[in-house]
Amino acid sequence: MLAKKVLLVGKFGVGKTSLIRRFVENEFSEDYISTIGVRVSAKEIHLEGQEIKLMIWDVAGTKDDEKVPKAYFMGASAAMYVFDLSMEESFLNLTEQLQTVQELSGLKEITVVGNKKDLLTAEALQKIMALTQNQVDLYTSAKENDHVEEAFKALALQSLK
Amino acid sequence: MKARIEQHYLELEIDQGGSIQSIIGGQFARDIFPISSSIFNPCPYLIGTLEGLLNNAPLTLEGMLLQEGEADYHLDVELFKTDAAIQVLIQDRSQLYQNLSQLNQNRNDLYFLKKELDTKNLELERLRQRAERANEEKSRFLAMMSHEVRNPLNVILGYTEMLAPVLKSKQGKDYLKYLKASGRNLKVIVEDILDLSRVEAGKLVLGNEPINLRELMQELEQNYHGSHRDIEIALNFTSSENLPEHVLGDDVRLHQILSNLINNSIKFTPHGSVSTSVNLQSSEGEAAKVCFQVKDTGRGMSPQQAASVFEEYQQNELDDNRIHKGAGLGLAIVKRLVTAMNGSITVESQEGKGTTFSIDIPFHIAPASLAKEKELKVLNKNYIKGSHILVADDNYMNRSIVAHILNNEEAHFELVKDGLEALSAMQSKSYDLVLLDINMPNLSGADLVKQREAYQAENASTTFIALTGNSSKEDIKGYKQIGFADVIPKPFTSEGFKAALNKNLAGLS
Repeated sequence: MLAKKVLLVGKFGVGKTSLIRRFVENEFSEDYISTIGVRVSAKEIHLEGQEIKLMIWDVAGTKDDEKVPKAYFMGASAAMYVFDLSMEESFLNLTEQLQTVQELSGLKEITVVGNKKDLLTAEALQKIMALTQNQVDLYTSAKENDHVEEAFKALALQSLK
Repeated sequence: MKARIEQHYLELEIDQGGSIQSIIGGQFARDIFPISSSIFNPCPYLIGTLEGLLNNAPLTLEGMLLQEGEADYHLDVELFKTDAAIQVLIQDRSQLYQNLSQLNQNRNDLYFLKKELDTKNLELERLRQRAERANEEKSRFLAMMSHEVRNPLNVILGYTEMLAPVLKSKQGKDYLKYLKASGRNLKVIVEDILDLSRVEAGKLVLGNEPINLRELMQELEQNYHGSHRDIEIALNFTSSENLPEHVLGDDVRLHQILSNLINNSIKFTPHGSVSTSVNLQSSEGEAAKVCFQVKDTGRGMSPQQAASVFEEYQQNELDDNRIHKGAGLGLAIVKRLVTAMNGSITVESQEGKGTTFSIDIPFHIAPASLAKEKELKVLNKNYIKGSHILVADDNYMNRSIVAHILNNEEAHFELVKDGLEALSAMQSKSYDLVLLDINMPNLSGADLVKQREAYQAENASTTFIALTGNSSKEDIKGYKQIGFADVIPKPFTSEGFKAALNKNLAGLS
C-alpha cells in the first residue's frame, strides 16, 4: 500500500481538526479545542485503482504572522490550506498566505479549502467566491459533512502527482 | 554532532523503513512507550518524513501528538540520518504540553472572545455612524424646511401687522388677533425646530457679550406686562441686589431660556402667579454662579410627567383647548441651551400646587470697560427718516412689507427684484443703506456685496444689511465677513426691523 504524508495548515480556529475528524472518524464537535504542535492521523482511501494510506498531519493553527515550522513539511507529498469563510481576515491575504506555504513546503500546488460554509448565506458565499476566484478548490462544511470527502480526495490526488 | 534533545527518554536506531534496529539508551522508557505494541516499530507517524531526511542533517519535530490506545503522548522527536541508519531521540513532553494545552486553550478562547468583541464593536460603531448620519440628515432637512417656511411666514406676519390700522370692525379685529397669535406661534415652532437642529448638528454658537442680568429681568417684566395684560395671573420678576453689574454670556439665548420657561408656566397656571427671580448663588474672583428660578402656582405635574419634561416633543395635556400646545420642543431646547452654557436645570413639581424650574449657570464677571462699551449703544433718534435706501428682494410680498414700513418712516427708497437690478441701481446712485435678500435669481445678495469694484464709485461707504431666513450665528458671521454690516432675520417685526435700520444708519452696528 502506498503511504503519503499530507499536511493541513492555516490560521487557528479555521476548522482543520474538524475537517480531519469528519474525514477520519465521521464525527463533529462544536467544542473548540486548539491543537498544539502536530497531530498525526491515518486514513486509508481507494483512489484511481490503488489503496493509499494518508498520514494526515494536523498542524497547529497559526496566529497573525506566525509560520508553520518548516520541519513539519519534511517529506510531505501534499498540503491543504484551510481558511474560515466566516472570518474575513483568514482569506483577505490569501495569495500571500499560499505563497508562504509554498515556500516552506517546497510544494508547487496547494489544495485550498474554504471551510464553515454552513455559517454563510448563499449571497455571502457568492460574494466570497467572487472575491477568491480561481484560488479556492473547494468550499466545505465539516459540521454538515459538505464536500469534506472531495477535499481530501483532491489532496490525495495532489499527493500522487 | 550534539543532539538538540538532551534529556531524551529513548534513543533508537531504525532502518530507512522505520523498523527498530537497536535500542541504544533509555531502556526505562519501555514502561512509557510499550515498544512491543509498536508506536515506533515501524513508526507510521514518520512515513514520508524519513524518506525526506537528508544525511547528517538533524531534524527536530516538536510537539508531535501520538496516540497509543487510550493514551496520548506529546513528544519531541529528533531524527539524525547517516548512511547506515537513522538515530531517533524521543522526549516525552506530555506533562509540559498538558499544561501548555490549557494555557493555549485559554489564550485562544480569549482571542476568539476578543475577535467577537471587536466584530460587535465594529458593528456598533457602524450603527452609531449610521444613526449619526441619519440624525444629521434629519437636522439638515428640518433646518431647510424651517428656512423655507420663514419667507411665507414673514409675509403672513408682515401683512397681519399692516392690516391692523386698516380694519375697523370689531369682528375683523378679533379675526386679526387670532391670525396674529397663530402666526407668532408658528414662528416659535419654526425657530424651535431650527434651534434644535442647530444644537443636534453641533452648530450652536453662544455669544459672549456683557449682560446686565437686572436689566434682562426688567426687559422681561416690561415685555410680559405689555403682552399679557389680559391674563388673570400675577407675573412677578425679582432680582437680588448682590448680582454682578455685568456677566459675560449670550443674552439672546438667556432671554430665550427664561421666556420658554415663563411661557410654559403661564400656559399651565390658570390662576395664581408666575414668579421669575435671579439670584447670585456664589462668586469667587471673576467667576459667579447665578441661579434663575421660574415658579408657578399652576396645576403641577405627576412625578412621571416631571421626569420626562425635558424630552423632545413632550406635551402635557391641556384642559383649555384655546391655548396653543406648540411642538413640545421648548423645554427640550431650554435643557440643551442650559447644558451648552455649562449650567444645570432641575424641576420640582407637585400636582395641584405648582412647578418650580431652577437653573444654575456659571458666568464670568464682565470687565467694566466691556460693559461701558455696550451701554453707549443706546439710541433715541430716528435715523430712517429721510435716508436713501435700496431694497432688493425677489419676493413681491416681502418687498411690499418693507415698503410699507419705510413709507411710514418717511425714508426715500427704491425696490428692485434681484441682485443685478440692485447692482445697476448702485452704479448710478449712492445710498445710505442697501437691504439685500440673500437668495435671489441672477445675482445673490452675497455675490453682489462681494463685487465691490463694480459699485464702489457711487457706494464705497454704503451700509449693507442682509434680509434672510439664514440666521444662525455662523450664517451671520459669514455674511459679516463678506461685507454685510448686519443681518435682519426673517420673519421680522416692524419694530425689530426699524431698530436694526436705525442702529445701522446711526453707525452703531
